[in-house]
Amino acid sequence: MGFSKWVRESSSIFAFPSVLLLHTIGMGVVVGINAGIDLRILGIAPALPLAPMERFLPLLWLGFWVNAATGIVLVIVDATAKLSNPDFYAKMVFIALALINLRLLRNRVLRDPLVDKAPLSTQAKVLAATSLFFWLAAITAGRLMAYVGGRDIGQ
Amino acid sequence: MNLAHIHLLLNHFPTVGFAIGLGLLVLAITSKKDELKRASLVVVFLVALITIPTYLSGNAAQSALQERTDLSQAAIRAHEGAAFWGYLFMEITGFIAWLGLWYFRIVKRVANWNVAAVFVLGVLTFSVMTRAANLGGEIRHPEIQSAGALADNANVPDIAKSIGLFVNGHSWVWPTCETLHFIGLSLLFTVVLIVDLRLLGMAKKFSFAALYQLLPLGILGFSMNLVTGMLFFIASPEQYVKNVSFHWKILFVMLAGINALYFMLVEEPWAIGPGDDAPAFAKFAAASAIFLWVGVLFFGHMLPFLGNSF
Repeated sequence: MGFSKWVRESSSIFAFPSVLLLHTIGMGVVVGINAGIDLRILGIAPALPLAPMERFLPLLWLGFWVNAATGIVLVIVDATAKLSNPDFYAKMVFIALALINLRLLRNRVLRDPLVDKAPLSTQAKVLAATSLFFWLAAITAGRLMAYVGGRDIGQ
Repeated sequence: MNLAHIHLLLNHFPTVGFAIGLGLLVLAITSKKDELKRASLVVVFLVALITIPTYLSGNAAQSALQERTDLSQAAIRAHEGAAFWGYLFMEITGFIAWLGLWYFRIVKRVANWNVAAVFVLGVLTFSVMTRAANLGGEIRHPEIQSAGALADNANVPDIAKSIGLFVNGHSWVWPTCETLHFIGLSLLFTVVLIVDLRLLGMAKKFSFAALYQLLPLGILGFSMNLVTGMLFFIASPEQYVKNVSFHWKILFVMLAGINALYFMLVEEPWAIGPGDDAPAFAKFAAASAIFLWVGVLFFGHMLPFLGNSF
């Protein structure tokens, strides 16, 4: 495949390094915004209203789609190693769980008409804690892909 | 000019600059003036910031001198060991000073616990740092060396070397630190994006003051990355000392640190209430914060590609 060969072997700074860079920036955007919401629910910055946080979600999704696209490229250029690495599947599962969790957070917490008027429910706090856990697990699994299972050309 | 020059250029800030900050703090405590207290916290924070490249460039100076037989390599190692402790205390003190500046915005006065903590840590930092500076001076000026000093220092374990051995000797340490570095990056991005995008016009329902409460998260992320980043550097300085991408990264960290002061010290952004449009300069500061932090990430990312890491 011409494209994957170019990304993998080109010495151009626009090839592999840029794809990986976008993937890292996307991660900062997605996990950053979601962690901000989670930590606010868990008690940090209690005077900060929660409902307007929803305004940041489109940006989070933009980050997500950037990472889906760059992630697919990163898998294509190293498909054999990635797809045979159990850690890769662990990362995918954690991302899926984190996204389902985000949907629940939006529907049950951010869009709750009482969100900034009544104390937060235990359910909201549990959802925030699991959200943080899933994202941390996804980052950990992602970083460790370079070390466990197959080879990683990022190293 | 090379990095060894930079080390010579910067190396008086951690002692002389810090003494000015500490003196100002004593003056502020005795005169009970809040503005003076804040000014001294700013000086302490800036000196802590400048101590980062001072420490890092020391490794370049060391490698420039390692072939020299007319200089005592033991004296250089003794200086490095002492400088490590000075650096560690300095960064902790700088962090507490920053915390005080942040807390001032929440409670509208300078907290006594903070001034006391910065003072005690500051005195400790100063004593450790002057020892490092003195040992640094002895490298080039054997005439100031006290007789038994080198013999004493030979018995002090080389802390940077032990840390390097620990990081390189256990295969789990480097990947764990990398993972923590990524988590720290995400925490820092949380605050940078949410606060700065609000100023640029997103989610205007938030007042600036409400969002500013998130800042300790960002500084927590930054501290995690400073610690893990230092572990990488100490374990494998040859990957970074001559790496142009690393130089740019540290420069961008410095600029981003100065940028952060704008939001803490200038009154302008604090007047931005729910629904308000931010003034032009606040928007500029917000855009440059995003630019600088993405730049830090960019150059960190480019370490193996534009430079010689890994």
